[in-house]
Amino acid sequence: MPVWLREHSWRQTLTAVYLSLPLRGARATPANIFCSEQYLKVSIPPFLFEAILYAPIDDTNSTAKIGNGNIFFTLYKKEPAMWDALTLENADKEKLQYLRENAVLKAHEKAKEETEAKKITKQEHKKYALEATMKLEEAERKRIEDLKEKERQKVAKELELWKNQQKNGDKYKSIQKKGEMHQEIEPLKERKSEKISKTRISNEGPSKTRLKSTKGSHGSCSIFSQNLKEEQLPAPRAAATIKVNFTPRVFPTALRESRVAEEEEWLHKQAEARRIINSDLSELEDLKEEEKNPDWLKDKGNKMFAMGDYLGAVNAYNLAVRLNNKLPLLYLNRAACHLKLRNLHKAVEDSSKALELLTPPVPDNENARVKAHVRRGTAFCQLELYTEGLQDYEAALKIDPKNKNIEKDAEKIRHLIQGTVQSS
Amino acid sequence: MSAAVGAERPQVVSHVQQALSYTVFDCKWVPRSARLLCLGSAARGTGLIQLYELHGARLELLREIEKSKPIKCGTFGATSLQQRYLATGDFDGNLNIWNLEAPEIPVYSVKGHKEIINSIDGVGGLGIGEGAPEIVTGSRDGTVKVWDPRQNDTPVANMEPVQGESKRDCWTVAFGNAYNQEERVVCAGYDNGDIKLFDLKTMSLRWETNIKNGVCSVEFDRKDINMNKLVATSLEGKFHVFDMRTQHPTKGFASVSEKAQKSTIWQVRHLPQNRDVFMTSGGSGSLHLWKDSEGSEMGVAGSVSLLQNVTLSTQPISSLDWSPDKKGLCVCGAFDQTVRVLIVTKLNKI
Repeated sequence: MPVWLREHSWRQTLTAVYLSLPLRGARATPANIFCSEQYLKVSIPPFLFEAILYAPIDDTNSTAKIGNGNIFFTLYKKEPAMWDALTLENADKEKLQYLRENAVLKAHEKAKEETEAKKITKQEHKKYALEATMKLEEAERKRIEDLKEKERQKVAKELELWKNQQKNGDKYKSIQKKGEMHQEIEPLKERKSEKISKTRISNEGPSKTRLKSTKGSHGSCSIFSQNLKEEQLPAPRAAATIKVNFTPRVFPTALRESRVAEEEEWLHKQAEARRIINSDLSELEDLKEEEKNPDWLKDKGNKMFAMGDYLGAVNAYNLAVRLNNKLPLLYLNRAACHLKLRNLHKAVEDSSKALELLTPPVPDNENARVKAHVRRGTAFCQLELYTEGLQDYEAALKIDPKNKNIEKDAEKIRHLIQGTVQSS
Repeated sequence: MSAAVGAERPQVVSHVQQALSYTVFDCKWVPRSARLLCLGSAARGTGLIQLYELHGARLELLREIEKSKPIKCGTFGATSLQQRYLATGDFDGNLNIWNLEAPEIPVYSVKGHKEIINSIDGVGGLGIGEGAPEIVTGSRDGTVKVWDPRQNDTPVANMEPVQGESKRDCWTVAFGNAYNQEERVVCAGYDNGDIKLFDLKTMSLRWETNIKNGVCSVEFDRKDINMNKLVATSLEGKFHVFDMRTQHPTKGFASVSEKAQKSTIWQVRHLPQNRDVFMTSGGSGSLHLWKDSEGSEMGVAGSVSLLQNVTLSTQPISSLDWSPDKKGLCVCGAFDQTVRVLIVTKLNKI
């Protein structure tokens, strides 16, 4: 139960009410005071003071001063009138309750409004700041542009000035030239005729005379100065040739560092191919043209296998492999031959090589891969390496699960393994 | 980087842009004037020479000359300042020297090579240096030939592959070391990365090296002084700066290399007024301005620092020329059929 504070005292003027509330030793902070339009509460547990005011007050402007063991309220009335009493006397519980709730609600609303107002002002401040920075940046940019413009104009002016100087300089020179020309024309005319007659006599080609005379007709004064200079210039150099060696380069294109790696690779591949073709050239000379074709040899090998000539087939496949060692089918078929010939290790090798060449595993080379696995599996089993063989058969089954033969054989091998395990 | 206007970096200002109706392969300033030449190939397979004059903010076409074969390169390097004859190399291997006042018949003409002349350079003219005026041409047929305009039909020096050797395209040539009447050196770059230095006084190969990428452009910092620096640019965005002052008997010349951009560096040109500054143009349409600092000792190459870079075009900028008369004025021609006049500012402060 709260302890009610009742020793308050108050006085009023037309517009304000002054309320003094002594606190019995309790310390008050602004958080303990709750005030709305018509409701005033001070709650410092366990003390409590509340008052339903006689008339509404302006709670935003009213103040509360905490100090000296009491709180001094200055409440400004909404309507200037003299109050009969501070509080409404005959307030029953319900009314009190209602008023209290109202007050709280009102306080909430006020708080909300205040936050709203704060937000709006904050946004406006931000906007203002942004605009200010933008303006500053614009000003900076403009300044730079102006500087650039000024430079440009200055430079253009200088250029004009210089050009005019040039023109004037040229004018003077041409005037001078004209003056000189008039002076020189007489003796020069004589010189010209001399020159022309000289060239005719010296029997040089017609092109040369034309050249000389064109030279003579233009800029007559320049002949004069040029002759002088020609006497000072050394004679043309004695003709000679210098032989040049270039850093060797295979490609006709220009050398670029970024392409060097690619070019090396290409050259390497070319060299490989050439080597294969050219190796054992002497042996291959007596073979006919068709016999140098790996595909033809493969067909020949297949035929011999079908007829039962396993050694012959192996020979054919060998030659084919020497010519082109990147065809998986050759190894595959050779593995089959070795199986028939009971060269089991060779069969294993060949099937392995075939499998290597048959990467990447795609649906296209499924058949080949199944065959390779089966053949290797068979070879392993005949070597009594049953576990390896089973592995291969299972790989084959994985690729082609529908093949009954493989399944049967795999079962057989499993039994065999289990049999040996049991017995050992 | 080009936004660092406040700092005292040189800025590349694009002054004039001119769209052309043909592919421009080379652009050159006419010495002692505000005029420039564009050389190229028209769509119908003929060669074009256009003479423009700089008028304020635009280029005015003064003259257009059409020739039967497309023109690849040109130089004013071997003519006197009064004559200002243009030497050109064309797609057919012909070397011609034209008087632009009367361009119908060439002043000098020779079918120098069997295939396109990729690059041309001239020395001994324009009042720079001493010695006889000579022109060097490098061609796709693997030979480099030096011509004297006073001697018809035969070159005064011929650098050709040994009999039976397969040829490599010569992509670029440059003169250098022409500090007196006898000395002269020709540097040639080939598509297999070879750089060869031929000495014309002794008529021998003085030095060769291979920079692992096709050589697009070589240039000495000055033609008319003792060999000081050689810049060689190549494919793959690399360029090498060789210190040509001391030659090691086995190792050759010391060098510094930079990788500037991801694409081919088509051209390098030194600023005529300051031999430590040069500009490289790239296959990505960008220009880079570099400054070279001297090595501390003889035989140690210095370092190269980037002063500015700017991207002007989406197509390679294949030709570049500084004006010998106005510091910082340059013209560049790109494969997007435009020629641009640029001004590089603040070069005095370097």
